[in-house]
Amino acid sequence: MKFTLRIWRQRGPNERGGFVTYPVDDVSPDMSFLEMLDGLNQRLIVAGEEPVAFEHDCREGICGSCSLVIDGVPHGPERGVTTCQLYMRRFANGATITIEPWRAKAFPIIRDLVVDRRALDRIMQAGGYISVNTGGAVDGNTLLIGKEEAETAMDAASCIGCGACVAACKNASAMLFVAAKVSHLAMLPQGKPERTRRVMAMVRAMEREGFGSCGNQYECEAVCPKHVSVRFIAMLNREYLRASIMGTRIPARSDAPHGESY
Amino acid sequence: MAVVNGEEREEMNRANEFVDSVGSKLVASLAGLGLAGFVIFHMLGNLQVFEGSDAINGYASFLHDMPILLWTARAGLLTAAAVHVGLTIRLALRNRRGRPVPYALRRYRAASVASRTMALTGSLLLAFIIFHLLHLTVGVIDPSAPDGMDVQGRLDVYGKIVHAFRNPLYVGIYVAGQLALGLHLSHAISSAFQTWGIEHAALDRLFKLAGPGVALFVVLGNLAIIFAVFLGWLHP
Repeated sequence: MKFTLRIWRQRGPNERGGFVTYPVDDVSPDMSFLEMLDGLNQRLIVAGEEPVAFEHDCREGICGSCSLVIDGVPHGPERGVTTCQLYMRRFANGATITIEPWRAKAFPIIRDLVVDRRALDRIMQAGGYISVNTGGAVDGNTLLIGKEEAETAMDAASCIGCGACVAACKNASAMLFVAAKVSHLAMLPQGKPERTRRVMAMVRAMEREGFGSCGNQYECEAVCPKHVSVRFIAMLNREYLRASIMGTRIPARSDAPHGESY
Repeated sequence: MAVVNGEEREEMNRANEFVDSVGSKLVASLAGLGLAGFVIFHMLGNLQVFEGSDAINGYASFLHDMPILLWTARAGLLTAAAVHVGLTIRLALRNRRGRPVPYALRRYRAASVASRTMALTGSLLLAFIIFHLLHLTVGVIDPSAPDGMDVQGRLDVYGKIVHAFRNPLYVGIYVAGQLALGLHLSHAISSAFQTWGIEHAALDRLFKLAGPGVALFVVLGNLAIIFAVFLGWLHP
């Protein structure tokens, strides 16, 4: 197969970027999108040019490293898959494919198609954890969790933190990501003790990073490679309302080890 | 309770600076729902124009005979409008800053036209409401409008409505206003359910239909009045 690639090239965070067009041929329909880019990079290296920088790690759709807005859609035209699981047979032979990085104020470009997604890590550090004192492992089945709760928590926990929701959102909002993390922990008994503090801390961390607000357009859900439902955003809103009412008492500041919390 | 150190205090102040978007949205949507409620009753009240001049003029004088209720309601609506407009403008400005460099190519999968034009339809709606108040409430826009009383000495609302919508210019402006209102409401009301965390496996489809349903109800009612006059079904 043959394609014309329009790829965003940018040498560094503060450099001016622009699109560069690369023709590629000899592409097998069974190649993944990233393998096709590997082929292009090999050619660029041989020609003495800078290869296109893009992120990847597991290449089996579970690590959340790969990104790329392909023809205007994060992770490309296939639904429910990451870019690494997208195959070239999905494209028409001879097509022009536009490849851009995630675009958000909170995701500054590092180089070419690589963006800095540490904003999501900082949101996690603000409250996306449970505090467990060290000691012996608890016996199995000590904490009983209902089937429904376990399944719902797992649906939320399937978020791989790739940031496609932010990339797809008109407002570059991280609500689906935060909603998945808050809902996952709020569903489970282990997450309950810090439930009230967590949602406020994570929402505030999200604000600090410069993400926009939710417009309830549900573009995030439509591009999420793990089909994380926007129902979790409603759950986040409920958690926020609950915490607004419950959390008005004088805060007990006993969680110093984590630093970020308040 | 541990001591709050300088860095943490600074952090808390910074967080308070924007009062988070989730909270702003909750308040903005509540104010918006209040305004939507008014729009429904406004339409239903005005439908009395179909019962003739006596009914609509009587309805107007009924409202004007209770000045405390009337002015409290007006103050409430003005406050709700100010809160809604103020908070949504602030949210919209912040949202614009969220993506300083736009995509070269953008394809939507789920976003409705209504949801993508909320800022536009909201601004048009605000302009239309100001025009509408100056036109039919205060009465300064159209000097040729009859400003008289009916035979019973009540404000002749019927005469004003009929005079206004015989004019194609006003019909055009009001129909455009209804279009903006319809689009704005159709996303707003369904969206408010989500913002308030109201979701349900089975009832979600009903919530999704609530916005377009209410929007259609209000717009059709209002358009019926406008076109009934314009097409000559309501006589002066």
